[in-house]
Amino acid sequence: MGFLQPFALIALPLIALPILIHLINQYRHRTIPWAAMMFLMSAKRMSKGMARLRHFLILLMRVLAVAALIFVVSRPLSGGWLGSIGMSKPDATLILLDRSASMERQDLQTGQSKRSAALQKLAELLEQGDYGTHLILIDSASGQLQEVDSPKALLDIPIAGPSATSADIPGMLASTLAYLNANESGRVDVWICSDLNENDWDVESGRWQAIREEFAQLEGVHHFLLADADLPSSNLSVRVENVQRWERGNDAELVLDVIVRSKGNRDTMRQEVPIEFEVNNVRSVVEVKLDQQEASLKGHRIPIDTKLRSGWGSVGLPGDANPLDNRFFFVFSESPVRRAVVVSDDVKNGEAFRRALAIPIDPRLQHQVDVISVDSAAEGASLNRLAGQWENTGLLIWQAALPRGSVAEQIAQFVDKGRVVMFFPPTQAFIGNLWDNPPVIRKGNQNADERLFGSHWRDWQTPGSQQIFSTSWWRGDTDLLAHVESGDALPLNELRTYQYRSFESPGTPLARFNDDAPLLSRVATDRGAVYFCSTLPTAQFSSLEREGVIFYVILQRALGWGCQALSVASQRDAGPDVLKDASAWELVAPTDNSPLLSQHGLHAGVYRDGAYWTAVNRSQIEDSATAVPVETVDALFDGMSYRRIDVDVGDTSALASELWRIFLIAMIMALLAEAALSLPGKRTRTTF
Amino acid sequence: MLELKRDYLDQKVLERLSTLQLHARLPMVGSVSGKHRSPIRGSSLEFAEYRKYVPGDDPRRLDWRAYARNDRYYIKEFEADTNLRMCLVIDTSGSMNFAHDGMRKLDYARRIAGTLAYIAAQQGDAVGLYCAGTGFHKEIPPKRSAAHLSAVLDELGAMEASGETGLANVLHETAERVPQRALIIILSDLFIEPEVVRNCLDHLRFRKHDVAVFHLLEQRELALEFDRPMRFIDMEGGEPILADPTVIGAQYQRALEVYLEGMNTVIQETEVDYHRIRINENYDDVLARFLLGRTPKRHK
Repeated sequence: MGFLQPFALIALPLIALPILIHLINQYRHRTIPWAAMMFLMSAKRMSKGMARLRHFLILLMRVLAVAALIFVVSRPLSGGWLGSIGMSKPDATLILLDRSASMERQDLQTGQSKRSAALQKLAELLEQGDYGTHLILIDSASGQLQEVDSPKALLDIPIAGPSATSADIPGMLASTLAYLNANESGRVDVWICSDLNENDWDVESGRWQAIREEFAQLEGVHHFLLADADLPSSNLSVRVENVQRWERGNDAELVLDVIVRSKGNRDTMRQEVPIEFEVNNVRSVVEVKLDQQEASLKGHRIPIDTKLRSGWGSVGLPGDANPLDNRFFFVFSESPVRRAVVVSDDVKNGEAFRRALAIPIDPRLQHQVDVISVDSAAEGASLNRLAGQWENTGLLIWQAALPRGSVAEQIAQFVDKGRVVMFFPPTQAFIGNLWDNPPVIRKGNQNADERLFGSHWRDWQTPGSQQIFSTSWWRGDTDLLAHVESGDALPLNELRTYQYRSFESPGTPLARFNDDAPLLSRVATDRGAVYFCSTLPTAQFSSLEREGVIFYVILQRALGWGCQALSVASQRDAGPDVLKDASAWELVAPTDNSPLLSQHGLHAGVYRDGAYWTAVNRSQIEDSATAVPVETVDALFDGMSYRRIDVDVGDTSALASELWRIFLIAMIMALLAEAALSLPGKRTRTTF
Repeated sequence: MLELKRDYLDQKVLERLSTLQLHARLPMVGSVSGKHRSPIRGSSLEFAEYRKYVPGDDPRRLDWRAYARNDRYYIKEFEADTNLRMCLVIDTSGSMNFAHDGMRKLDYARRIAGTLAYIAAQQGDAVGLYCAGTGFHKEIPPKRSAAHLSAVLDELGAMEASGETGLANVLHETAERVPQRALIIILSDLFIEPEVVRNCLDHLRFRKHDVAVFHLLEQRELALEFDRPMRFIDMEGGEPILADPTVIGAQYQRALEVYLEGMNTVIQETEVDYHRIRINENYDDVLARFLLGRTPKRHK
């Protein structure tokens, strides 16, 4: 319990006033000579029990009345958090607002979302208390710090509004640390409003340890977590995947997969759910029966006008607890020619790559593969010139010594445009850099320090007495080596490797040999993808080409992902950088409640920039993520001044409310009780 | 008529009460002829009873008419009239100093006692005075002379109240010391247990004394109406008591009721002439009521 006027509590010793008055009254008695002492003595003997108790209660009621009066004047607040930080007021207050899509879960009775409920409670609380000279908002969508004029303004400003993004709580705390270190603030209250979604909190991240250590060095920083981790009683979410536009004769159609996920009680799961499709202002409804937590409509076909080469559409569900996951936007365009470029220093291997990439997985797709020998590559420094349609290339296979200079820069730009590069080890007996201009041949291991994407090749490894290297571990849940659609794992356990070339890379291994060396790694990049594979497909090095399946699948996947960047229509997860030049992108849908230009990319919708279409939606993890247990969250703040306040979206009560009425009532009750106890007993006149 | 110079005697009251006489409710044994019945048959005009003649009786007292009617000898006896001895027992313990508007219980008792002494002396009765403090403060045995009355009245005027009460002992002593039947008039606030009072009255009655009690009380003692804590000083020298009448008022009333009911029981059982008096009453009314109440009823 805190107080708006804590100085009034100085008067608390006044509660002893009734006792003092009682004692003074006892000493201010009148003295009278008395004859009938025998009755007095008898009365005193009789009044020892209940009368004394009554007298004590009267005194107690008076003390309580005075105490209640003092508490009324000091204007107490409920909520508890003020009491935990003592009387001092913060110099600044930082609000870390989780604006992720899951925060828009509403209470169906009040229509208030988790985000708006938390903001409203917090605004009321800060209005009643003192939030210091600075009130800073860090919203998860933009990640930027913005000073807010008053707590009430939190309810109106767009940067505190809903968004389709995911949150990065550790990142927001890192921003808080940066602000605190830059401003050398004194006492600071940090309020975090979140629904504890596990993807937002990323509890496994190593950043938490650093955050804890840095906060531990700051004094006077108190963390308050407004947590609303309640799951909705029933909520459905929809999303669309694999949107493709095909032409069949004179007809065109869209083929897409619709996935409906359910959270909540089982009665809801058994219902039939109408799914509304909207494409080119034409609407259709399909009902799907939900008998599991996830129901999908695979390969749903929507006929479209043949002239409609590109466009957008949406899939909608009836309203439920979270309106933000009831609509999913998608865009489509004609499938581009899937073009790959292979740079190889070995003809056999180059041919192996070409064969695997040239055969499309769908006969309606067109594949084109250019193989460039390393010799011809060495003669020219420009990939643009070597690969005639470099701009329309989705995948680059680089099986040669690592380039540097302008070629390296071109590859980096290639990746930055969302394309995919796969590096395979060079087979040259000597290792030199062919990409110097003019080429310089260096003997031995002279280019061991040449790095690209922080990685470089090392020596070839042979199995020795073991005969072969086998694959002991690989990630089957995601990326190139993920299980196939039927759920079966790729047969990496059957892969036999006779030689591999070790490499150093900061990337994440996707597969390892039994000697723990990586077979395949992915280097983290902002866009696109960069892979390093430590062996080659030909029989001299491994069974990749002979077995076929693994080699074919990873190359086709890499080509497919790389060619997504070639399409004029792209699907993106909402985020601050999803539309690089936000002013160039025009919002096409939805047209109602269109966000500010600065908020483009943070809200779900369809954006258009000339011939390019982008559909922005919430990330997939927002639909399936569960709440982190509060104990785990509490442990994240271990060693920091931290207090968690659980709120419920349906709870309309304020975080802190003034309690003076309760104390006023208590005072009145105490006075009434005192009066009742002080009433003289029924005086019976003695019959004379 | 005696010359009255005692300020506690009011001439007007004496004149008002002069038409009333003090009667004993029981036969008295006096030394001279008087206005009160005697247990001994005498020669007054008041017929008492017939009695069978026994040898030795004076033949002049034979009722010849009764002999003529039924041929038997009867002696006609008449009441003997004698004087009475009135012993005034006044409680002079400290509690008798309790006052109402300047009138102490002792002053009230002094006026009643003085007036009664005067009336008794006027009708030729002997008057004695016993002042009961912790013991006998003063003891003046009953006599009939005017000088004796003067001494009694002087002592009444001079007596003061102090100390603890020894009324019970004094009453027992009085019962033994007064040799013949007497009218014992007790003036006290009787702040002793009713059972103790009962013992005293039984003793006096056993000695064939006619007992009258003036129980003197003050209004504040009956109500205890104070609105703040009071320090009650025991007028008889006991420990003072600090008490809040608003707290213990009810208990005080209960204790008083128990006491008064006990006194009523004692009075009923001992058949004494009991008068409970608030000292704010006019004492002449009290005396008139007392004297009239003792006047014998005439036989039709």
